[in-house]
Amino acid sequence: MFERWLLMFSRALRNMRQSPLLCGAAIGTVGVSLTIVAFFGILVLNVQKLTGHWSREVQVVAYLDQVPKPEVLHRWQSGIASLQQVQEVRYVSREDALARFRTRLGQDAALLTGVEAEVLPASLEVSLRPDFRNRAGVEVVVSYLRQQAGLKDLRYGQDWLDRFDAFLGLMRAGGFICGGFLLFATLFIVANTIKLTLFARREELEVMALVGATSWFIKAPFLLEAALQGALGGLFSLGCTYLLFAGFLRQGLGSLLLAAGIDSITFLPTSYQLALIALGVLLGVSGSLVSLRRLVRV
Amino acid sequence: MIQLFNVCKAYKKGSSALNEITLNIPKGDFVYVTGPSGAGKSTLLKLLYVGEKPSRGQILINGQNITRMGLGKIPRLRRQIGVVFQDFKLIASRTIFENVAFPLEVQGKKRFEVSKKVFQTLKLVGLEHKLHRYPLELSGGEQQRAAIARALVVDPLVLLADEPTGNLDPDLTLEVMELFKGANARGTTILFATHDRSMIRRFPRRQIVLEGGFLVEDRTP
Repeated sequence: MFERWLLMFSRALRNMRQSPLLCGAAIGTVGVSLTIVAFFGILVLNVQKLTGHWSREVQVVAYLDQVPKPEVLHRWQSGIASLQQVQEVRYVSREDALARFRTRLGQDAALLTGVEAEVLPASLEVSLRPDFRNRAGVEVVVSYLRQQAGLKDLRYGQDWLDRFDAFLGLMRAGGFICGGFLLFATLFIVANTIKLTLFARREELEVMALVGATSWFIKAPFLLEAALQGALGGLFSLGCTYLLFAGFLRQGLGSLLLAAGIDSITFLPTSYQLALIALGVLLGVSGSLVSLRRLVRV
Repeated sequence: MIQLFNVCKAYKKGSSALNEITLNIPKGDFVYVTGPSGAGKSTLLKLLYVGEKPSRGQILINGQNITRMGLGKIPRLRRQIGVVFQDFKLIASRTIFENVAFPLEVQGKKRFEVSKKVFQTLKLVGLEHKLHRYPLELSGGEQQRAAIARALVVDPLVLLADEPTGNLDPDLTLEVMELFKGANARGTTILFATHDRSMIRRFPRRQIVLEGGFLVEDRTP
C-alpha cells in the first residue's frame, strides 16, 4: 500500500516537472484567484472590526425622575442584569453625571461654575452583550425596563440603531454574495485551467484506461498534483496578499477605517491563512475532479 | 475464447457500424479481420476491449459476458487483453522501459518483478538496448515493437491489433508479424485487423471479412 502511494506521489511530482508551464499556470491561477478572495477577506475582517467597535455604542439609558431608594435601585439592577442580553448595568448618580459632563467640557468646564448636580437626572446605563447589540436585543431590554421596572424616559438611539442594523444587513448580504461569487468564479477558472493541463495529457489518460488502470489509479496522481498545486497557489496568494496589504491596504484602507474609529488594520490571522491554503487545496482537488470526471470514463 | 452473438453497433446519427455479427473464435486462434476502410474492423476491436458497448447482442470473452459488465470490472478484463494500434499510442514523455512497465504498475506488481518482466519482453522484441530512450527517438518499426511489448508484457489471453503494420514498410512488417506469430505460438489468441492482402497471402490464417458492417465471409485456409 505504501509503495502504491509512493508511486502515485512520484507520478504527481513527475507530471509537475514535465510540464512546468502548465503547472505554473495552474498555480498562478489558484494564487491570483485566492489573492482576490484574501483581499476581500481582509476588507470584511476590518469592516467587521469597525462595526464591532461601533456596536459598543449600542446601549439603553433610562433616565430617572427621582433618585431611587437603595433597595429599589438594587432590585432594578439585579432584575435587569438577569436578562441574557445584558452585559452590564451601571447606575450613574446626579453627581457622577455632573462630573462626567465637566470632563467632557474639558477647558470649558468653567461654564458649569455654580451649577448644582440636581439639574441633571440620575440614570441607569444598560450595555448589551456583543451578540445582542442590535434592534431585537435592544427591544427586549427596553420592553423589560418599561413593563417590569416602570421606567418611562428611555434613550437608545432609535434612528441610529435602525441605520446600524440596515448597514450590518447590507454588509452581511454583500459579503455572502460577493464571497460566493468570488469562490464560484475561482472554482470555474481553476477547473478550466486544470482541464487544460489534463487535456494536454489526454493520450496518457487513454493509454492508462486501455491497459486496465482503475479509475482511482488514473485519477489519484492528478488529484495529488492538483492538491499540491492548490497548496502552492494558496502560499503564493498569501505572499501576494501580504505585499498588497503592506504596500497599499495598510495605508489606503487604514486612513479610511482609522477615521471611522478603529485603531489599527488587521492582516489575516493564522487560522485564516491556513484556511486560505486549505481552500487552495480544495479548489485544486474539486477543479481536478470536475475535469477528470469528463475525461476519464473507466 | 471470444464469442459474439448477433452483435450490432449503431451510432446516434443513425449510421450503423456493425450488423448482426455472430462469431466464435477458439482459444489460441489467429484471425485476420479484413475489409475495406469503414467496414467496421476497428469498431469490432473496440467492442472487444470495451472501448464502446454494442447497441444489441452479446459478447463473451473467456466465458465472461462483457456487454453486461459494470464499469468497475472493465479494468480487470482489460488486463487480460493486449491492444496494439496503428499509431502506437506510446506515452511520449516516458521512456520505452516506463511505457512497457506501465501495465504491470497498473496491476500493482512489485518493482523487481516489473523490471525483470519488462526486460524479458523488450529482449523478445529486440529493444533491450533502447529501454532508456523516449518513443520519439525511435523509428516507426521500433515504436511499434515497443507497443507490442507493452501489450505482451502482461501475457494477455487475447491480443487485438488494429492495423499494426499500416505505417510500416514491408521489411518492418515482416519483423512485426514474427512477433505476433511468436505470441500466438505461446497460446495468445490474436485478432489482427488489416487490409493488407499481400500479408494475408504470405501468412495465411483464418480470415473474417467485413463489408459495410456485415460479416460477409469467414474462411479458413
